[in-house]
Amino acid sequence: MVEFKDVSVTYSSGVDALNKVNLKINDGDFAFVVGPSGAGKSTLIKLILKEIDATTGTVLVNGYNLRKLRRRKVPALRRTIGVVFQDFRLIPTMTVYENIAFVLRVIDAPAKYIRSRVPYVISLVGLSKKAKSYPTELSGGEQQRVALARALVNDPQLIIADEPTGNIDPELSYEIVELLKGINECGTTILMVTHEHDLVRYFGGRIININKGSIQFDEVIGGSNEDK
Amino acid sequence: MKISSFSYLIRQGFKGIWRNKMMTFASFCILLVSLIMVGFSILISINLDKIIGNIEEQSEVAVVVRDKVTNTEMIQLQTKIEEIPNVTEVDLYSRDQAWKDMMDKMTDAQKDYFKYADENPLPDVFRLKVKDIQKLNDTTSQIETFEGVESVQAPKEFADMLINFRRIFIIVAIAIVVALVLVSLIIISNTTRASVFTRRKEINIMKYVGATNSFIRIPFFIEGMLVGLVASVCALIITKFSYEGVYNILTHEHKLFGFFGFNNIYSFDSMFLAVTISYLVAGAFIGAIGTSISTGKHLKV
Repeated sequence: MVEFKDVSVTYSSGVDALNKVNLKINDGDFAFVVGPSGAGKSTLIKLILKEIDATTGTVLVNGYNLRKLRRRKVPALRRTIGVVFQDFRLIPTMTVYENIAFVLRVIDAPAKYIRSRVPYVISLVGLSKKAKSYPTELSGGEQQRVALARALVNDPQLIIADEPTGNIDPELSYEIVELLKGINECGTTILMVTHEHDLVRYFGGRIININKGSIQFDEVIGGSNEDK
Repeated sequence: MKISSFSYLIRQGFKGIWRNKMMTFASFCILLVSLIMVGFSILISINLDKIIGNIEEQSEVAVVVRDKVTNTEMIQLQTKIEEIPNVTEVDLYSRDQAWKDMMDKMTDAQKDYFKYADENPLPDVFRLKVKDIQKLNDTTSQIETFEGVESVQAPKEFADMLINFRRIFIIVAIAIVVALVLVSLIIISNTTRASVFTRRKEINIMKYVGATNSFIRIPFFIEGMLVGLVASVCALIITKFSYEGVYNILTHEHKLFGFFGFNNIYSFDSMFLAVTISYLVAGAFIGAIGTSISTGKHLKV
């Protein structure tokens, strides 16, 4: 669960990135966060990951009050969150398998669990045949699927997808969102930041529109795919 | 941390060395030079300290005995002097011996002058050496209080000079070694910074997936430590052969150096264990800490 209570962020440069934002995303929700560049979407993500702290207000993420969370406890918070980035951020010197297994190694998972969990997650994103490939040998869509598997492998409570379709072909974008929807149906909360209105209109669901640091619109809309 | 995770991190450390061959080589060379410089500074320091120590040991104290002291009293006095913990050697230079030596050195004309002397005017003297020259004043004061002692003559000014010289020398030696270690750390951390910089993306991802700082640091730490250990073994070999070369010149080939006390320096074999351990510890420490310093900068995500 993610909850923002009167959260404001003012950067040291004097820029007000968020202004008294109140927001609640319940467990199991799927929400699109939309808005123009500089609206405050990235600030929202940075707050959830505790890369930055709110200037005022309270941020609660998966049971952690981030204002009170100590630096050394940040890894524990981040282990409850999976992140998918626009630029994939895969480690080029590691294979698909190693990139995903890496997350489990970080959290000190048993070797036996790693050996069974990683192939399973790779199969979920449909890349079993490419487990031994390196990221540079994959297409953009495939790389993003690896990133998705990496976000998923740890069975996090929340997945944040920051423009996950920004660097891939439009037709593959739908595939990625379908995958995210599938993960959501298994109970994981998904927060997807995107610029692509077509995608949002197609899938529908909860839409949070941020502009100039404030929430302009937060409602559930029906998707055009439901009409089909 | 589980053993499997630890072995994974160690493997990553080894892989890191291979992946960043050029940077590893650069770090290795810098560490090698630093270790040799620090090592030689320390070796020169401890040898100079030994030479000063030898000079100190050779400084002698003369205890002049009063006239008309009986033989029994003389023996008692010698025993009392020998019982002082700071005294190492006590030799009696008897008045008869002193008279004979003086006569031997005189020309016949000078001897004529003493021909009619009815009595030997010289006193009995105890010559003694002290263990710790810093306690020279206490020792002489103590001897002065003994029954039958006329006076005590000690090279106090020379001793003070040696003590001061040694004190300054130790401070300068420590300062040079500390400065060299610091410079090595800075250079190593700068060299590894480039290698860490190329892997900042990796570090960044680790942070996002919830890696603790120690988990991220360990492979870099192991990488730095291994480079440090290899550099210290090479530095040890170079130091051994260079030191032995210099040692042979000073002790065997050019005996003139013996005049300055250089023939008394330590042989490499006598210091082998200490030098080996110091090099390995210093190499591993500088390598590991230097790498950790440069990693720290990228951990603040």
